[in-house]
Amino acid sequence: MNGDLLMIHCENLTKKYSDGFVALNSISFDTSGRINTLIGRNGAGKTTLTRILSTQLMPTSGTATINGMDITKNVSEIRRSIVSIPQEASPLGILTAQEQVGMFLIGRGHSFRSAKEEARIALETLGLGDFRNLPADKLSGGMKRKIFVAMAIASRADTVFLDEPTTGLDPISRIEVWSAIREIDSEIFLTTHYMEEAQDLSDHVFLLEHGNIAARGSVNDLLKPFSGKVRVESRSEIPDSVKIGTMWISYVSSGDTAEYLEKGCTIKPISLDDVFISRGVEIEP
Amino acid sequence: MCSSQEVLRLNLRFIVSLAWSYGFRVIFRGPSYIISSMSAPLTLLFIVSILSHGTLIDYALVGGFLGLIASVALSSSGDAAFMRLQLRFQDLYVASKVSPSDYMIGLTLSYVIFSLPGIILYAILGAIFHIFTLGAVLALIGIMCFLVVGTSSISFIVSSSIKHVRNVWGIAGIMSVIMTVLPPTFYPYEYIPKWALYALSATPVTPAAVLAQWAFGLSPPMINELYIFIIETVIYFSMARYLTRWREN
Repeated sequence: MNGDLLMIHCENLTKKYSDGFVALNSISFDTSGRINTLIGRNGAGKTTLTRILSTQLMPTSGTATINGMDITKNVSEIRRSIVSIPQEASPLGILTAQEQVGMFLIGRGHSFRSAKEEARIALETLGLGDFRNLPADKLSGGMKRKIFVAMAIASRADTVFLDEPTTGLDPISRIEVWSAIREIDSEIFLTTHYMEEAQDLSDHVFLLEHGNIAARGSVNDLLKPFSGKVRVESRSEIPDSVKIGTMWISYVSSGDTAEYLEKGCTIKPISLDDVFISRGVEIEP
Repeated sequence: MCSSQEVLRLNLRFIVSLAWSYGFRVIFRGPSYIISSMSAPLTLLFIVSILSHGTLIDYALVGGFLGLIASVALSSSGDAAFMRLQLRFQDLYVASKVSPSDYMIGLTLSYVIFSLPGIILYAILGAIFHIFTLGAVLALIGIMCFLVVGTSSISFIVSSSIKHVRNVWGIAGIMSVIMTVLPPTFYPYEYIPKWALYALSATPVTPAAVLAQWAFGLSPPMINELYIFIIETVIYFSMARYLTRWREN
């Protein structure tokens, strides 16, 4: 792995599907820090970008490198240095956690003995030691996701791609998986639409919107425009607001909330959710 | 960088691991699948025996070996597509050192292992009905090896082109019935016209059945089917290796 932190570099990366849909529209970016997170709504292009970078899908145009290796020219080298855990990946129900992680490691070049031992250690690290010999269809949703995180931990890959690793999990399972992700000693490229997850784990965040990078920076950078503000939610129209569903949302100074409370509005503290919600709302400086 | 020797060793390890996990483990943890895979060939054996008053039982027994292994391999297209579309199992290995050949051969071997209980049952029945000679058994083993490569390749080609999970099991079922029951697997190949035999030879089960019937001395030789069998096995394997989608466009 390179000593510097320039893990992924993209230049004018574009993906246009055969039906004409443009999933990625000439995006360019460099990652920064250990955990980089791509946030965006469903269909924003997160999975497409992850699949292209992890050599599962060809881009239509543009270039990208991972630790200096080109995703179209150095495919074998990249595949040796990365792990990609697909969105909604599910373990084979008939195999145990130990067998699945072991088989994955054997695929990455471990000997049978080393794969067995490394799989055991990774599963124990994630608290699955007592369950590692049960068929996966007897495990909870959180435990099943942890099997994939165990693959990432045990692989000791330079770069790990995790595509929506906690989608569909209950809050406790999500926290368990987040703890597990922190155990991965690699550069991580994470996609999620859970803002709490991005806020909790990321060094650097990219907001992807309709195939374009709409915002980027550290969590603090992204929240800077909201400094000293709170979110106001109302069922009736309020000034400078955006309508989402049946709700009107606005951002006001934390000292100006009294009149909104009198009107029965709900006041909420700012979170990374607001980077999303505020698209279309003018945030006054 | 790995040397070519290391790459070869790595591939074989993964192939063995996948075959063992997805073949051998299933035998013990999902025995209902084994019974399900044997049910169609055994039912046909019973029907053919009854309708022919026992005169075609040798054909049905020899065909049973081929029908069993072909139906398991062909219906596996459902498995392979399900693993790709629903479980994202294939995606997990695309972004790794595993090549499409490793994956395909590993899955194919798992189906061979998975077929073993049925093959043993047929071997017992064959011994009871005294159909075996050493030469015929050796020929049958060779034919079955080629057959599993050909049918698994077809499975892999079809599975990689299925785009929606809802179509997975329907297509697998149709393929399994049309390509194993329709050909002269369980009846003498001379019963159908030549044009139909050649048309059915698009599925490797047909030349395999013709050759097996020849090897067991049940039907006259037909050398053309030997050439067809070899050529189409190579073609299907090459198509599966080079034309199926591993990295998507």
